[in-house]
Amino acid sequence: MSIIKVTNLQKYFKVAKHQRGLWGSLRSLITREYEPVRAVDGISFEIQPGELIGYLGPNGAGKSTTIKILTGLLVPSGGEVLVNGYVPWRERRRYVARIGAVFGQRTTLWWDLPVIESLDLLKHIYQIPAEQYRRNLAEFRELLQLDAFLNTPVRSLSLGQRMRADICAALLHNPDLLFLDEPTIGLDVVAKERIRQFIRHINQERGTTVILTTHDLSDVAKLCRRVMIIDRGQLLFDGRLGALQHRFGGRRELVVDLADDYPHAGVDGARIAHRDGQRVTYQFEPGHITASELIGRISARYRILDLAVREPDIEATIRRIYEERLLEKTGPMLGSNGYR
Amino acid sequence: MWFTVNIYRRLIAVQLKAQLQYRAAFLLEIAAAAITLFMFFGALALVFHRFGQLGGWSLAEVAFLWGLVELAFGLMDLTFSGFDPGDFGQRVRKGSFDQILLRPLSPTLQLLGADFPVRRLGRIIQGGVILWIALALLDLTWTPLKLAYLPLVLVSQIGFFGGLFIIGATITFWTVESIEAINIFTYGGSELIAYPMHIYPAGLRRFFTYIIPAAFLNYYPALFLLDKPDPFHLPAWTPCLTPVAGFGLLGLALLFWRFGIRYYQSTGT
Ligand SMILES: Nc1ncnc2c1ncn2[C@@H]1O[C@H](COP(=O)(O)OP(=O)(O)O)[C@@H](O)[C@H]1O
Ligand SMILES: [Mg+2]
Repeated sequence: MSIIKVTNLQKYFKVAKHQRGLWGSLRSLITREYEPVRAVDGISFEIQPGELIGYLGPNGAGKSTTIKILTGLLVPSGGEVLVNGYVPWRERRRYVARIGAVFGQRTTLWWDLPVIESLDLLKHIYQIPAEQYRRNLAEFRELLQLDAFLNTPVRSLSLGQRMRADICAALLHNPDLLFLDEPTIGLDVVAKERIRQFIRHINQERGTTVILTTHDLSDVAKLCRRVMIIDRGQLLFDGRLGALQHRFGGRRELVVDLADDYPHAGVDGARIAHRDGQRVTYQFEPGHITASELIGRISARYRILDLAVREPDIEATIRRIYEERLLEKTGPMLGSNGYR
Repeated sequence: MWFTVNIYRRLIAVQLKAQLQYRAAFLLEIAAAAITLFMFFGALALVFHRFGQLGGWSLAEVAFLWGLVELAFGLMDLTFSGFDPGDFGQRVRKGSFDQILLRPLSPTLQLLGADFPVRRLGRIIQGGVILWIALALLDLTWTPLKLAYLPLVLVSQIGFFGGLFIIGATITFWTVESIEAINIFTYGGSELIAYPMHIYPAGLRRFFTYIIPAAFLNYYPALFLLDKPDPFHLPAWTPCLTPVAGFGLLGLALLFWRFGIRYYQSTGT
């Protein structure tokens, strides 16, 4: 049974058209013309309990809008959503008692209160049993290293500290699902890593289903087995990151240390990108030849001492996908190379 | 029910604790509010000293109107401050209303617990003192009915102004540019009914009687409590309309509030 089922989800916003010039702005006082913005434009997916999903896309892709619908904040313009047995916006209050959500730029905590008092208040709001609260707090304090600022008012926390406090707050009631909208935005490398480790821990140890949005690929690369890529409101890819790379990553590289200074080290199906004495770097297209085939061909002709396969830079791959809109040209590759 | 009361109590306790951090600012504000109001009352006394009465009402009688409305408005401001249209508009624009919707608690309860500006005590004490002085000067003939009616008038006024706050807050889901216009009704309305309605031009008076039923909240109760004749000859049961107007408006406001939240959920910020 999937814990989230989204079918043909759509969210259109009406945005007032800007009229040019004085006459235009006068006219817009009386009759405003609206332009629809298709923030989410027909997205479908299913998520199984215990998955850790990366929802990736450039700014304005529709990530936050999707998360707001999934958390019951927004009512979609069309399509169906069933999360944890609820239609989020219809039974909002009962539904949100079983989820946790953190929106990167905003805090759920009381601005003027020390962190610990906000947490204590949430304990009462979510009616968390005392024992569960005590255990969770002890665990999160250690894993998120909250002790240094537990008694500091939220308004004086750094961004990283605030994010840690917010994630703790979102998990005290043992939610079945955790939604994180850009949890690492604006953080330095160390802070990002700490949060990623914690998210992984929660997902693995507690089996909490996690969906995190990001426009930072390294979040996804380090954390998520399954990634969904969205752009301009449409789901372009749903599957393992490796599959994407496999298809669009361009050439892979095989670095071989040969036993001799062969004058010609060439083979069919690969070109020599670089040669430094006995060390030869071959480039090959993953679609045309597999690494093992290539190694076979090379070793049939030359003696190999050592070798290594180098993956193309995934960051560059994704950038290329956005810029050249590769996924749209080839049609969305949902399922094909996707996740099972 | 017990859960609601308990949570409300905790939310308020947290507000109080947070405000204690700014004790100096807080005391200053109470003092400033008290001084402003005393000065205003002084000016009013001067007017009476010069003219002797206002629309046929004595200083003590106007002070009764004035103190009652100050007290009610202050108490409303204390409890309904989360709905203050200016603050609430900010909350919506900054997107932090989302955080309210993410918690498994009624948004109304959360907003009632979102602010509890103790500094309003200045206005509350002021209103209470003036009402007390007025009652002492007036030497009313109290009946059990009047004794029960006065607190009902007070809570009706709190409900009425609270309703106006909620309506104002809800409008900010659509537009924040109208906050000034909304404030005219709340703050303007509260100042207007601090004086006997018959001193106003007929149009204004009718507007605040039949369109916005503010006259039923203070003027008509005062006529009844002070045993004064109604110059406009409304039926004798008119004072019964006080709770109807107060709680009716609050009820409508809450309906509108629900509608507003639904609108918000379809547009976002
Ligand atoms: N409340 C709103 N009203 C109008 N347009 C909106 C609103 N929220 C988002 N949008 C628009 O919808 C698109 C998707 O936004 P969003 O979901 O925030 O993207 P992301 O989180 O991926 O950066 C953007 O073009 C954005 O301007
Ligand atoms: Mg976003």
